[in-house]
Amino acid sequence: MTIAAARPLVTVIDDDQSVRESLPDLLRAFGYSARAFSSAEQFLASDCVGESRCLILDVVMPGMSGPDLAQELIARGINLPIIYITADVDEAVRAHLPEPEARRCLIKPFGDTALLDALKRELQNESGE
Amino acid sequence: MLDLTSTSEQKTLGRSRREYRMEKPPAQRRKQQPGPAALQVAGINGLLQMIAAGRELPDVLGVLCRFVEAMAGVCHCGVYLIDWSGPKLRNAAATSLPATFNDPLCGLPVRCEGGPCASAACLGTQVIVEDVETDPLWQGSAFRALAALHQIRSCWSTPIWSAAGEVVAVFAVVQHQPARPTAPQQALMGLAAHVAGIAIERAQHALALKRTHAYLAQAQRLSVAGSFCWRVATDEFVWSEQLYHIFGFNQAERVTLELMASRVHPEDVPLFNDAMERARNTPGDFEYEHRLLMPDGSVKYLYLAVHAIFDQYNQLEYIGAVQDVTQRRLSEEALSKARSELAHVARMMGLGALTASIAHEVNQPLSGIVTNASTCLRMLATNPPNVDIARETARRTLRDANRASEVVTRLRALFARKAPTTETVALNDATREVIALSLSGLQRRRVILQPILAEDLPPVMGDRVQLQQVILNLLLNAADAMSGIEDRPRQLLVRTEREAGNRVRLSVQDSGIGLGAETAQLFEPFYTTKSEGMGIGLSVSRFIIESHRGDLTARQNEGPGATFSFSIPCEPPSPTAAVRQMRVL
Repeated sequence: MTIAAARPLVTVIDDDQSVRESLPDLLRAFGYSARAFSSAEQFLASDCVGESRCLILDVVMPGMSGPDLAQELIARGINLPIIYITADVDEAVRAHLPEPEARRCLIKPFGDTALLDALKRELQNESGE
Repeated sequence: MLDLTSTSEQKTLGRSRREYRMEKPPAQRRKQQPGPAALQVAGINGLLQMIAAGRELPDVLGVLCRFVEAMAGVCHCGVYLIDWSGPKLRNAAATSLPATFNDPLCGLPVRCEGGPCASAACLGTQVIVEDVETDPLWQGSAFRALAALHQIRSCWSTPIWSAAGEVVAVFAVVQHQPARPTAPQQALMGLAAHVAGIAIERAQHALALKRTHAYLAQAQRLSVAGSFCWRVATDEFVWSEQLYHIFGFNQAERVTLELMASRVHPEDVPLFNDAMERARNTPGDFEYEHRLLMPDGSVKYLYLAVHAIFDQYNQLEYIGAVQDVTQRRLSEEALSKARSELAHVARMMGLGALTASIAHEVNQPLSGIVTNASTCLRMLATNPPNVDIARETARRTLRDANRASEVVTRLRALFARKAPTTETVALNDATREVIALSLSGLQRRRVILQPILAEDLPPVMGDRVQLQQVILNLLLNAADAMSGIEDRPRQLLVRTEREAGNRVRLSVQDSGIGLGAETAQLFEPFYTTKSEGMGIGLSVSRFIIESHRGDLTARQNEGPGATFSFSIPCEPPSPTAAVRQMRVL
């Protein structure tokens, strides 16, 4: 097992600066490595697409939305666990998130344990598959 | 015998009765005894005095009849008014003739063959019946039977003319023996008809005047309007009854400026004084509004329209109409209050539309705060504590908390329910605040907002929050108009600029679906093209802009979309307008 595998990369994609600044530090405190992007387009253009083990993805963003990015990744054959986050629960519904994702979507502000639980679950699922 | 030989002469006599004395042959006068002549002058003078004093018509005519009876000797006199609508005679004064004669006579129709009086009235000539019994004309007539019953043998009927040339009455002299009038008797009858004519016409004028006055008073009561006349040099006032009523003064009170001022609403006293001063110094017509504070604490709203005239001595006089517009004002105020409620509802609806944006605006910094604080705790819990990162997260916590607080402050200002105020508003700053509040919401609806705010924009006078509500409304409308647009950028241009006439304009230009055909209805309350929306926004916006003495317009762009813009003046309104405006707001 490599060191990189021991510290899986979690990528944050959110147009809000507060989230981009605060989440990576918390993720590192959890023991993950972390990167942050302000838009889906920036993420797709980066070298993190293949390396990321999990996405923390804002639902509604200017330009490409969270669900749009998820579709794009599937279209590219990339299967990444996604934790949706949003500042408005109605927004998640309006953005046509599929039912399970809508239910698991984290509503800002969310606690650190809620995030950690979601991360553990998603990465557990991934390693289980 | 019926005397028709002197028709034209008699007619002339009747019509020109005011010159009668001059027409009278001087020879006849000289023949009269000094005694009766003096008596005649005294009698006529007495009658004219009665007429001038406005005594009742029957009294005057009664005295006239007795006067002629006394002067002419053995005879009975009567004055019969003619009611042309009947046509019938009406007994005005025939006191020495019994009712058994008068009443049937008055029931007879006014026709030429009806009797001497009716005939005189119809023909407009004097009719002399020397002997009723032998005169062939009245054989078999009702008059002849009536005369026979009362032993009346002769009847002389002289028409009484109005100035307008209409026979208004007949002066009748009857005797119990056949007779023809002597020249002095003829003169006396002419004189009597002349005086009776004056008395009757005077009475009719008085009645008409009284009626007009009653109509006017009634009209003033109905319209809750009064009138006045103000002689400026002497400060004399003449008030109509209704004006006393409006001011709540007793009609016995002498109207002075001080008395009027005592009723003027204290807040309007400066306005009142100013108006009086201007009226004194610059004669001219003006309109003016002020309130009264009544002793019972109620408030009346008065509207005055005043017209300046100069009397024959070139003295300034004002004639004015005063209308009590309290009911109208109160309903205007009620309407204004209802509009203000509506504005609040619209704001709340704006709030509803903004909920997502607000949740986003507040939850983002809260999210940052929670995450940063969590991280901070974890950093401090490690061994050794990671103080650098802990400090950084604490700093970010503070920043996000401030950011959340600013959002709340802005929201509170925008959605608070408070009375409209008039202050100096920097429209650019107000616009920037609204943009800041709605920007993320607009961005998430993929609206590209571009503000072009003029550098040299002068401040405007108005209610900052109300103006911001209008701007917010226009931005949200523009975003809605572009929500279905996929084939072109959702461009939103917010522009402020100076305009000619010391005004500023703010326009919001979108690239949405445009206005369609129903531009005129846009500003109607409850007109909406949106499925979720009550359609109050634009009508309320227009009301707000109009109360800022501005106008709100919409036009189709040359390209896709529409532009909504408002223009408002920069300078403060004049004091009078300000008062009116504050009452309307």
